[in-house]
Amino acid sequence: MTRVAIVGAGMTRFDRPRRELQEEMVAEAMKNMWEDLPNLETKDIDAAVYSYFSDHLEQQLCFHWIIHDYLGLSGKPGYRVESGGATPIDAIINAYMFIKSGVFDLVLVAGWEKMGEVGTAKTNEFIAMASDTDWDFMVGGYYNGYYAALEVRRMHLYGDTIEDLALLSVKNHNNAIYNPYAQWRAKHGTSKITVDDVYKSRLISYPYRTMNIAEISDGAAVMLLASEEVAKKYTDTPIWITGVGLGNDSMRPGDRTGNPAWLGLYPEDEEIWPKEEPKPLTPYPEMANFGAFRYAADMAYKMAGIDNPRKEIDLVEIFNPYDGVELAAYEDLRFAKRGEGKTLIREGITERWGELPVNTSGGLYGQGHPVGATSIGQAITLFWQLREEIYKKWGSQQAQIPSPRRALIHGHGGTGCQAGVVIMER
Amino acid sequence: MDEFEEKIIVDKSVLNEWKKWARKGDMRVKGYKIVEAPRGDRVDRISRERFMIVERPHAVVYQHSFGLLSRFYEGLIEGKLYGTRCPKCGLKYLPPRTHCWNPSCKLEETEWIEMPTEGVIVTYTIMAFSATPFLPELPFVLAYVKVGDAATALPIQVKEIDPIDVHIGLKVKIKFKEERVGDLMDIYAVPAEKPHPPPRSKEEIEWLKRELKIVEEWVNKHFPKK
Ligand SMILES: [Zn+2]
Repeated sequence: MTRVAIVGAGMTRFDRPRRELQEEMVAEAMKNMWEDLPNLETKDIDAAVYSYFSDHLEQQLCFHWIIHDYLGLSGKPGYRVESGGATPIDAIINAYMFIKSGVFDLVLVAGWEKMGEVGTAKTNEFIAMASDTDWDFMVGGYYNGYYAALEVRRMHLYGDTIEDLALLSVKNHNNAIYNPYAQWRAKHGTSKITVDDVYKSRLISYPYRTMNIAEISDGAAVMLLASEEVAKKYTDTPIWITGVGLGNDSMRPGDRTGNPAWLGLYPEDEEIWPKEEPKPLTPYPEMANFGAFRYAADMAYKMAGIDNPRKEIDLVEIFNPYDGVELAAYEDLRFAKRGEGKTLIREGITERWGELPVNTSGGLYGQGHPVGATSIGQAITLFWQLREEIYKKWGSQQAQIPSPRRALIHGHGGTGCQAGVVIMER
Repeated sequence: MDEFEEKIIVDKSVLNEWKKWARKGDMRVKGYKIVEAPRGDRVDRISRERFMIVERPHAVVYQHSFGLLSRFYEGLIEGKLYGTRCPKCGLKYLPPRTHCWNPSCKLEETEWIEMPTEGVIVTYTIMAFSATPFLPELPFVLAYVKVGDAATALPIQVKEIDPIDVHIGLKVKIKFKEERVGDLMDIYAVPAEKPHPPPRSKEEIEWLKRELKIVEEWVNKHFPKK
């Protein structure tokens, strides 16, 4: 079976609102990619995988048909993936599998979202239609509520603190100031923030403040994947996808206290439980962790031959719609033991200058979160980091991680209902 | 054939009234504006363009069936809390499931049971912002409550308590509103014991009180009570 490479990538600035049409933003991302791929002809592309999240936000079903013809790809197969926040990571993984299967050699992944056409509160409602609309949705929590409740559980079981969340916010926002595609930079500029700035931001859902929460964004991002044979035609510095993984968990987070499908899958994690606390029927992932992340990560690690992720990975992008997700992901992606994710931020390990930099893009409130484009945008940051092109693409040498060899990107949707992990290597 | 015909047993439909609203909200252009706004792929490569922005509503009323779980919602109207139980493995569900999700039960059909109205908070949050349907009710506490010996936890609002006193492990009683329409909001939880609030610092308590006051003022301003 062929190896699969990423041969090119391009994106637009993430911002809100972007007043261009979705297809115009995708075209802008394509042109951004073409700056580095002069040999690419439109007719070379065998198929496209499209990523957008919400028919409600876009007020359009089958938007990818508009994009596909706009790009000049009529006739060729175009295929939409939809899995909430996991859509863009899922699209990359689908494109990988298209090539791995031998059916196609050169596959475009294109993602976008325009979320700015309804008000903020209505946007929250539309996004929450990815939660169970007969249950959780009906009592008014929406994602701000679900994720906050999950983090309160972690604070109770593991001792995560509000300060930990603020430290993450500072790290990720301050990474974004170097990124010329970042929404935070577009609206805030290039000055650094401190924990006090986070503390001054408004409460949304305890323990989260506005600065702990993803942006609502518009934007687009594209990526071109190729088989080994075809990759050579376009670049001397392909980035290889050496592992992919997918995983799912229950729609309703409250159901995770008693989901027998998890029993026995991760016995070591089931053992980690505070003595004084009543143990639920299914102690892992329960509501404190994200089993879908673990499942996806283990699959990707196995494929890539990674035994010790903390040591063998140089650079990470985590899908962090809420800061607590990053703490949980440290554990579920096996960078720290269950309950000890917080030590990675407290000790500065995941800072840009640390041993395992996480979210040099700025993540979902730094770079931004136009859902269908989010993980593609994060993967593009890794692509440029691994090719040591940050200076060329961002105009900043400071943000370049020195000679990274292997990176991990994580994405997910819902309250961790679906997750994907991709390992990228140069 | 009669067995394929749908027979109305109770009719509390408001569809005719809402049809007017839905028609007003049909997807047609209702208004517009023209703006000048930025264009460009990077923050350091920006130009300015004119954009036309139209106002286009999209209103609809869904006639949604609660399927084989309808009994739960009818129970809400009756003032009873129903869950389901798997006859094979014994797992109890609230929220109910028609089929058991225990992989070894191969989707065994569950049976209805009446649940007690006592539970324990598994986790919670204090909502200071929400989506449009719940803005007038801010601030409020959203919790996941394990009712009786259900394996799963039910999303529910907690009332009759200062939000900053709510904590994991708090015993609660499930109560029914006076006016019930088969909405999950027909029920809410109230403390069934004296709360033992989590150890919050003085600063944290002051911060939460300050923030919740801002939210209350905002709600009073935008959604004045008659
Ligand atoms: Zn069963």
